[in-house]
Amino acid sequence: MLVRAFISHYRRHPFQLLALALMITLATMLWTGVTVLTDQARNSLFQSEEAVAARVQVVRTDGQPVTVDDFAWLRMAGVCVAPWLEVQRPPPEGRVIGIDPLALGCFGESAPGGEAGDLDGEPFMDISEAAMLSAKGADSQLYLLAGTDDESLPETYALKDFSLSPPTGELADSFLLNLDALSLLVLLITGLLVRSVHRLGLAQRRDSLALLHRFGVPRRRVRQLLVLELMALTALCVLPGLWLGAQLAGVLGGGFGQALDNLFDVALYAGSDESLPWRAAGVMVLLVLAVCLLDWVLPRRWQNAASSGRGLRVAGLVLLAGLTGVVLAPGLGWVFAGTALVFAGAGWLTPALLAMMAQRLSGSASDTGVSPLLGWRRRELAVMFRQLALPVVALQFAVATVLAVQALVTTFENTFDDWLAQRLEAEFYVEVPVGADAELGAAQLRELEGIGPWHRVTRGEASISPADNDGKGAVTPVDLFALGPVGELVADWTLLESSARPWQQLAQGGVMINEQLARRQNLEVGDTLDVTIADTDIRVPVVAVYADYGRPAGEVLIHRAQLPEAFSAGFESFSVNPGERTMAEISDRLADVWDTSNLTVRDNASIRALASRVFGQTFLLTRAISLLTLVLAAVALLIMGWVFFTTRAWYFQLLAVWGLPATMLRRQLQRLAVTLTLSVTAAALPLGIWLTWVLVSRINPLAFGWSLPMAVYPMFWLELGLVAAGIGLVIARLMRRQLEGPTPLPPASRMTGAER
Amino acid sequence: MIARRLMPLLLLALATGCSEPDSQAGFAGLAEQAGEADESGFLQPEPGDELVFPDDWGPHPQHRIEWWYLTANLETADGEPLGLQWTQFRQALKPRSADAQPPDAETWPLDAAWMAHGAVSFAGDHWFEEKLARGDVGHAGATAEPLQVWLDDWRLEAVQGEDHWRLQVNGDGWSYDLRLGNTGRPVAHGDEGFSAKSASGEGSMYFSLVDLEIDGTVTLDGESMEVSGRGWFDREWSSQFLKAGQQGWDWFALHLGGGQKLMAFRLREDDGAFVSGSWISAEGEVISLGVDNLTITPETWQETVEGRVPVRWRLQIPERQVDVTIAAPEGNYWNTGLYPYWESPVSVSGSHEGVGYMELTGYSD
Repeated sequence: MLVRAFISHYRRHPFQLLALALMITLATMLWTGVTVLTDQARNSLFQSEEAVAARVQVVRTDGQPVTVDDFAWLRMAGVCVAPWLEVQRPPPEGRVIGIDPLALGCFGESAPGGEAGDLDGEPFMDISEAAMLSAKGADSQLYLLAGTDDESLPETYALKDFSLSPPTGELADSFLLNLDALSLLVLLITGLLVRSVHRLGLAQRRDSLALLHRFGVPRRRVRQLLVLELMALTALCVLPGLWLGAQLAGVLGGGFGQALDNLFDVALYAGSDESLPWRAAGVMVLLVLAVCLLDWVLPRRWQNAASSGRGLRVAGLVLLAGLTGVVLAPGLGWVFAGTALVFAGAGWLTPALLAMMAQRLSGSASDTGVSPLLGWRRRELAVMFRQLALPVVALQFAVATVLAVQALVTTFENTFDDWLAQRLEAEFYVEVPVGADAELGAAQLRELEGIGPWHRVTRGEASISPADNDGKGAVTPVDLFALGPVGELVADWTLLESSARPWQQLAQGGVMINEQLARRQNLEVGDTLDVTIADTDIRVPVVAVYADYGRPAGEVLIHRAQLPEAFSAGFESFSVNPGERTMAEISDRLADVWDTSNLTVRDNASIRALASRVFGQTFLLTRAISLLTLVLAAVALLIMGWVFFTTRAWYFQLLAVWGLPATMLRRQLQRLAVTLTLSVTAAALPLGIWLTWVLVSRINPLAFGWSLPMAVYPMFWLELGLVAAGIGLVIARLMRRQLEGPTPLPPASRMTGAER
Repeated sequence: MIARRLMPLLLLALATGCSEPDSQAGFAGLAEQAGEADESGFLQPEPGDELVFPDDWGPHPQHRIEWWYLTANLETADGEPLGLQWTQFRQALKPRSADAQPPDAETWPLDAAWMAHGAVSFAGDHWFEEKLARGDVGHAGATAEPLQVWLDDWRLEAVQGEDHWRLQVNGDGWSYDLRLGNTGRPVAHGDEGFSAKSASGEGSMYFSLVDLEIDGTVTLDGESMEVSGRGWFDREWSSQFLKAGQQGWDWFALHLGGGQKLMAFRLREDDGAFVSGSWISAEGEVISLGVDNLTITPETWQETVEGRVPVRWRLQIPERQVDVTIAAPEGNYWNTGLYPYWESPVSVSGSHEGVGYMELTGYSD
């Protein structure tokens, strides 16, 4: 009987139950989907790093490709090597890697693949199967991975770095960290939405719950029933939410996995922990219970004080403390804590400030004799900001998140494009084989008529110290790049700071340094550096600082004429535009002069096209998640707005009773709803911009030691504004239907002193 | 980790061949109950098969499993006992006739896999290492003439122009380089080399060099020691070692004080055990032992991390007046490879004194 009376509210208001159930289900779906994907991405990246981390390969010093005989010979000589046969199958099957599990024993714990998790199935297979694919005509290349880099190799072999793709620096880590941040924001927003819908329902049940108490049901019992009701509803809704979340992860994971595979050389094959969806569900149940039962935990005077003047001052202080904390934070944890404070403060202040502003404007409107309807609309808006505080804040957070994610993603994309452009400046890239004389290759290219621009890049190690430290300051090891000839291929490099005609100055004995080194050592153009190369000191002026797009290692770039004779190159390559020649012709000549049949030639244009395409695909996921969050927040506001308008329908009808034509009334409601959503979007702008700044300028530098450039995209703000206006119009449209029907009487509590 | 993922599958395939994988995975009988050999195309040894020298020193590609196996009871210059073991196993996935050409190494064939074990037991400590390789690639194999058995840089080979072999093995923190001098003819076990492994007639071809003179250098943790003593070398091949219902074996090779040698083993079955052995007199006469005249009984068990294992045994051959206790020294002598088993030097006391080696499989939890 009691239970029947208790739940009779939902019989009268089934849409409220539906709204709450929908919120919990959608929130669980979003949270589970995001968590599963982030977890999978993290596992995959981690395993990929483990698989090829710090690995070296053995190559022949005569430039010939290694064979199975080399493998057997090296093993019998006591060298720990393992075969790694890469076979490229035509799309859509793609690459597979043949390995010999029996040969990996000598690697111990450092075996390719490490000790973490499972690499299940593709791209790995037994090397005999891979060899069979190769025999059927697929392109293949055998590598011999070495156990450590200090193997005592026979003279006819050398060690060389083993990498499967252009290194992406810490872009992948940064990407994951931002996904984490996004997940937390999603959780926060869903918490707010669930709380708002639940509170609305509770407010409407206040009368019936009070009636139960008057009939003798103790308040404690009523609360127990409310908790039970909430737990039952959560349990029922979390399950479909889990399923939907898995579907969402599956749908997004397809494209995401392919992007990971192509971009970071990582397949989304790792799978995630099977218990993860259940843990996500557990978090969601706890979240729902926590946000819904918060009122019983917080002392009532705190709740009352929250919206008082004193409460708002506290909110302002919280906001200020958060902003200061983020700026001064010494570590990542502090930045996250500061960000949480800013969100708490902003969420606390925004509805009150918006309401205050609307109220003040309504006063000034009536004073100046502006249309009384405008004054009414602004007062009504003030009421709405107070009554719909939670969904308003949720929408504000969602819009801010979408803004920040969009800015971050676009910044990442632009950075990545620039990064690719700088590294893949030529159409082709030819690696100088181990043991080959690069000068012979350079001579060939110089003699070749009709060839386009080309240059030779030599990599090695050097150390630097500021010229004025008299040998007392720190000597910093750096990566050395020597370039020559300096030509058109580097003309488009982004120089953050430079002297006049920097490339000519480089050719005349200047040095260029990368952005991170300049920041760390406080170096700028015009400073002088002592660079030690192969025990030879040279004193050189800094002529430019170039963008490094997140590479944390210090780099110096000099002209190759400055290299001392004793310098031994770690790695050499040619960047070549073939011009009137064909690349096949050029590579044949180089192969001849180096007497090798195993020349590594990379087609940079196709790599760039592929990388750009898959990068866009990768960020589709981030965009999809943020868009879904926005949709969820919009749905919440829609539900809340509709329910709220419904409770005030009798009040709006009064306007008609007082003589306002129906068309005008509808227009007023339309304006009211659109102003509401647009105000929230406007309030989200500063928060979104601030969040973008935190992500690119605070979190990245603290987490990875490098920063991304900050950019804002006003056209996207406009797009978001249009979405917000659309939401407002839909609310107004729903209201119009509501007003066309019979108008319910207001509940008794609404007539007795509550805000109208 | 790739290895961990693929290895069991690979070895399961190797252990079971083309038969249904309904048996426990193993390598060369270490934990194996193989399927029906006849259906897989492998040759199954049977009574009447003969040993052929020097061919039988080399591999038997028509058979599924085989091994070359040395145990040695040595002493340091100070008279400290030191035991060592080296075993190289071959396990085939596909049978191949003896005169067939091996597949092209470029195809990374998986017709057979090799596994080598090396161990040293000294002063209560035990060093062990395992190596694996696929066959026909080149870095593991065996030839009969001249004798060579190798896996990576572990190698047993006949020294050309001389009448001894050389064995070089190195592990993490230990190594040995030994000279093996053969002072006797191969001893054929069972029926002219066919050694039954169950009452229903399954078995293997099995012969031994029972009295190798060994000297050389053993290096442990950077310290080299000159060593010398006696060794026991086994050659054994089959296509079905343990039959269904057999849980493992207990094997002993003993050098007795009077110059006699004794090989005895016990295959544990669900309802008892199958025992067999060879008594080799000081003059070299070989007498086969069986359930009627050989008793092997575990007496003392030791709890270890890997499992409960019998470390003290009683062995009786009444008609030879043999009643001895065989005991492992204190310590843990598990070879903790893919398929852990116990391999320890032993001392013999009772009616006869002596030393030897004991191998116990199937006790790992």
